Amino acid sequence: MYGLEAINAHNGWAMAITGAIIVMTGLTVLSTIISQLHRIIDFMENRKSKKAKTETPQEQPPVKEIQSAATALSNLGDRVDRLCLMTTDAGDSFDLITLHQLFIQNDDPHPHLTIRSLREQGYLVPTGEGRFTWKR
Amino acid sequence: MELFLQFLSNTGFYLTDYRYLIMMAVGCTFVYLAIAKEYEPLLLLPIGFGVIVGNIPFFKGFGLGIYESNSVLHYLYFGVTTGLYPSIVFLGLGAMTDFSSLLIRPKLMLLGAAAQMGIYFTLLSALALGFMPKEAGSIAIIGGADGPTSIFLTAKLAPHLIGPVAIAAYSYMALIPIIQPPIMRLLTTKEERLIRMPDVERTVSRKELLLFPVIGVVLCCYLAPASIPLLGPFFFGNLMKVSGVVDRLAKTAASSIIDTATIFLGFTVGASTQGDVFLTPKSVGIFLLGAVAFSIATASGVLFAKLMNLFMKNKINPLLGAAGVSAVPGSAREVHLQGQKEDPSNYLLMHAMACNSSGVIGSAICAGILWSFMV
Repeated sequence: MYGLEAINAHNGWAMAITGAIIVMTGLTVLSTIISQLHRIIDFMENRKSKKAKTETPQEQPPVKEIQSAATALSNLGDRVDRLCLMTTDAGDSFDLITLHQLFIQNDDPHPHLTIRSLREQGYLVPTGEGRFTWKR
Repeated sequence: MELFLQFLSNTGFYLTDYRYLIMMAVGCTFVYLAIAKEYEPLLLLPIGFGVIVGNIPFFKGFGLGIYESNSVLHYLYFGVTTGLYPSIVFLGLGAMTDFSSLLIRPKLMLLGAAAQMGIYFTLLSALALGFMPKEAGSIAIIGGADGPTSIFLTAKLAPHLIGPVAIAAYSYMALIPIIQPPIMRLLTTKEERLIRMPDVERTVSRKELLLFPVIGVVLCCYLAPASIPLLGPFFFGNLMKVSGVVDRLAKTAASSIIDTATIFLGFTVGASTQGDVFLTPKSVGIFLLGAVAFSIATASGVLFAKLMNLFMKNKINPLLGAAGVSAVPGSAREVHLQGQKEDPSNYLLMHAMACNSSGVIGSAICAGILWSFMV
């Protein structure tokens, strides 16, 4: 048997077409998988690192030893002389913003509370136009 | 005097006939091509010398010939008839293959699939020429341009054709520089041959390299379980290589093991081409069909690359399609050389290797498919 008759008799067309489709499909699927492989790996790794981040406690910033407000304000009278020296360059009278900035520069704790207490206890005396001077 | 005459009647000079002499000439040609022209010397030298040895006439019944049980050659040939050597060769091949370029450019894998169409066209042609289905399947696999795969499938389907199929497959692999270029040039324009492949700025991670052989073996062998004897060792060899934890094993597989298997495979396949068994009209038909299979495989790859270009923004150099046959690395090298003929600064080798390695996988799957169709 030869020719088309032989191909038909031995189911040749079906074998050829099916075989071609199978190998084409197989390699197409494999190429699709490997084209996405690096994305899948990246995704898995990102997920893993995120999970690890949430599981490990966040690093806390070093705790500064901050004097408690009560301690800082209790001995205000003793601090006034030092504060007076601090504002020497600002002149006889100064505004409260300048004083606040000087507190921050010198790492003085609780600048707002201190200024308020200085005002309430009469150490800071208004000279008008929003400026203050030290009580002599 | 009688003793002398008796001795003379047992010598090769007395027993020889024209068929042995023809095959001797073929063997000498192979040896010449391997040494003088360096055409696939690793294959052609053992095969060529095997052909010479196998065609020395001898007195039958002494347990000398490859087809006589208890002969040394017969025992060595056992690795061929059982499909043992091809599996070992695939193990070494896997340990030598670098899939990085394929993992970076996965779409090139389709060219490896397209080039397998030559196998199915040849299947139809062989059936039309009167070969039985199992014989047709064995002849068709020559289109995959993969010697070990051809031998493996033929050993399973039509063991009596191992000699002609193996010789045809290896001959055409060696003749790549002669067969492929005219087809490539015929089917492509100068502009197409000048296409440069864009560089992909991505490095392949170790995890990708490790996952690929596992995914590959599972997917391909689930699809065509009959390809396990080839793809199993192939991907295992690759996993050994990329894992980096068994360097000694990987190096041995990629050197001593594959070399030993190649020596015995080539030599015994050559020796199996005894003139009285080999030189038949069937062998001539197999050679002709093998040439058709190889040519169509090359053409299918090139035409499929052109087809892909119709739908792709970044065009593929269609020469790469010719590397979809699994003749590693001969066809990739030829594609690169053809590209450089048009533009010496165009480097296609790595892209062609991607097609080539997918061709190896494709032809092994085809072997599995054909085997499962025929049992």
